[in-house]
Amino acid sequence: MISIKNLHASVEDKPILKGLNLDIKPGEVHAIMGPNGAGKSTLGNVLAGREGYEVTDGSAVMNGKELLELETEERAREGLFLAFQYPVEIPGVSNLEFLKASVDAVREHQGKDALDSVNFLKLAREKVKAVNLDQSFLKRGVNEGFSGGEKKRNELMQMMLLEPQLCILDETDSGLDIDALQVVANGVNAMRDENRSFIVVTHYQRLLDYIVPDYVHVLADGKIVKSGGKELALELEEKGYGWLENGEA
Amino acid sequence: MNDVVNPAAADMPNQEIHQRIRKEYAAGFISEIESETLPPGLNEDVIRFISAKKGEPEWLTEWRLKAYNAWLQMEEPEWAHVEYEKPDFQALSYYSAPKSMADGPKSLDEVDPKLLETYEKLGIPLHEQMALAGVAVDAVFDSVSVATTFRDKLEEAGVIFMPISEAVHKHPELVKKYLGSVVPQRDNFYSALNSAVFSDGSFVYIPKGVRCPMELSTYFRINEAKTGQFERTLIVADEGSHVSYLEGCTAPMRDENQLHAAVVELVAMDDAEIKYSTVQNWYPGDEEGKGGIYNFVTKRAVAHTNAKVSWTQVETGSAVTWKYPSCILKGDNSVGEFYSVALTNNFQQADTGTKMIHLGKNTRSTIISKGISAGKSQNAYRGLVKMNSGAEGARNFTQCDSLLIGDKCGAHTFPYIESKHPSAVIEHEATTSTVSDDQLFLCRQRGIDTEKAVSMIVNGFCKEVFKELPMEFAVEAGKLLEISLEGSVG
Amino acid sequence: MSVFQTQQLAALEQAQPLNWLADVQQAGKAAFADTQWPTRKVEAWKYCSLKTLGDQGFDAVQPAAIADAEQLQAHINIQNLDASKLVIINGQINLELSDALALEQVTLFADANADQQAIIAERLNAARQQPNQHLFNDLNDAALQNGVLVQIAKNSRLDKPLHIVSLNTGADAAYAVNSRVLVELGTSAEMTLIEQFASLSDDADNSFTNNQTDVRVGDNARFNHYRLNMMANAASFVGTTRIDLQRDANYDAFHLGLGSVLTRNDMVINHNVGGSHAEIAGIYVPQGKQLVDFHTCIEHKVAHCTSNEVFRGIINDEAKAVFNGRIHIHQDAQKTLAELSNKNLLLTNKAEINTKPELEIYADDVQCAHGATVAQQDEKARFYLQSRGISAADAQVMLSFGFINELIDNLKLEAIGDWLRPVLAQRFGREQLFSAEQTGDL
Repeated sequence: MISIKNLHASVEDKPILKGLNLDIKPGEVHAIMGPNGAGKSTLGNVLAGREGYEVTDGSAVMNGKELLELETEERAREGLFLAFQYPVEIPGVSNLEFLKASVDAVREHQGKDALDSVNFLKLAREKVKAVNLDQSFLKRGVNEGFSGGEKKRNELMQMMLLEPQLCILDETDSGLDIDALQVVANGVNAMRDENRSFIVVTHYQRLLDYIVPDYVHVLADGKIVKSGGKELALELEEKGYGWLENGEA
Repeated sequence: MNDVVNPAAADMPNQEIHQRIRKEYAAGFISEIESETLPPGLNEDVIRFISAKKGEPEWLTEWRLKAYNAWLQMEEPEWAHVEYEKPDFQALSYYSAPKSMADGPKSLDEVDPKLLETYEKLGIPLHEQMALAGVAVDAVFDSVSVATTFRDKLEEAGVIFMPISEAVHKHPELVKKYLGSVVPQRDNFYSALNSAVFSDGSFVYIPKGVRCPMELSTYFRINEAKTGQFERTLIVADEGSHVSYLEGCTAPMRDENQLHAAVVELVAMDDAEIKYSTVQNWYPGDEEGKGGIYNFVTKRAVAHTNAKVSWTQVETGSAVTWKYPSCILKGDNSVGEFYSVALTNNFQQADTGTKMIHLGKNTRSTIISKGISAGKSQNAYRGLVKMNSGAEGARNFTQCDSLLIGDKCGAHTFPYIESKHPSAVIEHEATTSTVSDDQLFLCRQRGIDTEKAVSMIVNGFCKEVFKELPMEFAVEAGKLLEISLEGSVG
Repeated sequence: MSVFQTQQLAALEQAQPLNWLADVQQAGKAAFADTQWPTRKVEAWKYCSLKTLGDQGFDAVQPAAIADAEQLQAHINIQNLDASKLVIINGQINLELSDALALEQVTLFADANADQQAIIAERLNAARQQPNQHLFNDLNDAALQNGVLVQIAKNSRLDKPLHIVSLNTGADAAYAVNSRVLVELGTSAEMTLIEQFASLSDDADNSFTNNQTDVRVGDNARFNHYRLNMMANAASFVGTTRIDLQRDANYDAFHLGLGSVLTRNDMVINHNVGGSHAEIAGIYVPQGKQLVDFHTCIEHKVAHCTSNEVFRGIINDEAKAVFNGRIHIHQDAQKTLAELSNKNLLLTNKAEINTKPELEIYADDVQCAHGATVAQQDEKARFYLQSRGISAADAQVMLSFGFINELIDNLKLEAIGDWLRPVLAQRFGREQLFSAEQTGDL
């Protein structure tokens, strides 16, 4: 699915990622944990192509294409989806209008016909229901006045609608109560299949009880310093990150 | 909202927004049409010439001369926040007409095909069979009206829709009664000038109780170089009648500035309703701020008892715009509305807004103004809400929003609020926002390219105004914004 | 030239200028003499007619303070306020009535040492370059003899507020008082200044006061300001406040304009360096045929500054109020947060309000909002009160008072709020039902 090699990235000339390697096969779920400031969110932003995140070295090849050479929207159309930690509000632009433009762009890229508005609406209604949001959310401005939990569910709803190949969840669990967390986890689990991969960035082991990863990686000081199975998350919860700081693993 | 890892990320200038793509002004072509153009200069003889050319009655010639003499005594206004080279009024020509119009075409078949072609290019077919269904068009080319469509159908309903120069002859009693009744000759510098030299424009009269069977539209085109366009529109909606009117404007791309100083007067008698929409796309000048139209327009309406006047405008063109479509809410329970989108890019300057003068009891007004500034442009809302001592129970609501795209432009709000009645209620709100990097990133991460994203955000910003436009023009207005912004968005 | 100008210029001839300030005084005098008396065509005076003032002459000779100290005391004390008082009567500092502490804290321009002279001269020259300079500022510069300087040293704090009371007694012949206060707060310094302008008696005072207060708030310093305008009905007042905010400086202000034949206040707040914040509240309550005019201007010159301004007014009888609130965001002032709200109530159909909240914005990444309302009282609330047996008139008074009381409740110096409440209540013909003592524990 994606092969990240020796990735170096800086923000305002300050190196954040310092040689990150990660290989993800189709169908796998990789969790990335690590202390604050380790570069967890930077990874998602660099892969999605956010401005201001400068790649200084390395590569990220997704399905045979070098991601880092593509524009942000091209990466999205190739099937990369970033669920934002803090989804921004876009007043005046309705969720529905926004989703239609997005789905149209992705379908066009895939050589598919655009969905007509009847079918699109039907699909959108379905997905809104699946994430336990009221139908009225489709008419409201993108994230406008949504609570934190509603914003996260809105992200999940978009993910379901766009059916991406690689989903990056950037601290999607932060700030969610247990009920909302379950809704998000159920949505993600329902989307898991042999062709779709996930990078789950989180600060808390709790999420991994609901979305069970195939691999857990520890990101510290811009590199992956330890990898393991899901049991590594429990170990981290118990011991903290201190024992890894020196990069002994 | 920002990513935790790098709180400074939002500080970064958005290069994408500042990247420029050069797009041509689509209506910028020049028509090769032989014209009869008066040499530059303005004096009493010029005014007599214009009046004689149109075979005007004596009273109108005198009316013009009175306005001219008033104008001579007036000083050109100075506005804070608007900078431009003052026009040299003696270097302008005050009359220009396509030569083929000299004898006056009797019907569309006699109109110079080149002229018709010009309007086809602009997307306004004047042949009735091709015309937009349900829209009657009066086309004004430089100083004269070239064609008015659907006249027969309108006459059946008793609606008068014709060039004002023709109305002077055919309906002198109406013209004489209402001309200058809303905007007096000496109202301001440009209205005085217009009153002296106005060439043509549209005249509309809707009889009592009649609902005009179709949209009426005037299309203004400046073609000739070094001319000023001074059209005059007069719309009278008699008791209980209803009319929706739309004007559109374009001009060729020329290096020098051209002056457009129109006067529009609306009279809404008791229980009448006038909806006046404008899509203004005069040539805005080039990227360096060279050329473009000076658009100095006086528009005003009087609303009598229970009448309603609604101004909707989408202003994307002109180098300098100065206009304040206003409502004098004279009759009790009368209603005034102003919905405006003003977009400025490159070096454009707009100073626009409205005046709502509440005289009658229980009068209501609503002002929704959306200003979009991009490039190095300056965009100002200037408005007046005035509750006079008789305005018992009057209400106003004003919402002024500004959207800034880039850090070289300016957005300004100057609302004057004057109240003399304790039961009058005025609410004014203003906000400012930008198209943020975070918003663009979210859209792009979902596969929507920057241009489409900006267009969606800008259209969302203008939604409240667009919904006031007649359907087909709302679509046109949205597209116009997109094209006008193409200089500012990467 | 107006009568006002002619007479003031004549008075300046008689004054004894301070030599080291001769340049500023000359510049002010020349500009004042050159200015055409403003008509209503001048935007800054559009709603504030100076015609009557311009036709009037004011004596320069200020009457001596009256001897009855007891009567004076009643006017200059704010109950329960622990402040050091500087009492200025008819433009002259009164040594007997002023607190020793206050006298230590201020320096008369005439007594300034060389260092202070340098600071004063520098500040006065800088003040002449401020935006919205008008002819009364020029006049003030021309007549600087009685100015005072307040300096708060780096890292120090005035434990007690400094309360400057300017009291005019009135006299048979109308006279003019020009006064100037310069405040200089060093890095991390802190003080509260209360400026109170009052008249000894309601009938007798027909004086003209032209006050100007210039404050420089140093890095990380805090300046709390109360400016209370409570002159008698016949007194004319023109005041200017300029606040210069340095890095991380904080300005917290309350302005009151009770109303008189002419009460005009101009305020300019300059955010000169990032991180500064200004919080301004204000109330105006003119009645009779009074005029209160507040012109405020917030200059956001640099990035990362914030301002919040709230003014409320109640206009009664045939009175007139003007509020012009300008927010100017310069091109470099990214990340500015600026808000302004102005709400007004008209109580009669002869009262008048002219409000103009202006935004002038040259930076894109900012959050600015302003709102202005002119409203009548909430009919539902009034009906509710009436349904409980309260008369329509009483209901109006209660609701009006509630409208401004919100701002009074927020005052940091509670003593000032407690002292103002009955003054304002009386303004609306209502006795305060409960005293501060009675409700102090609530």
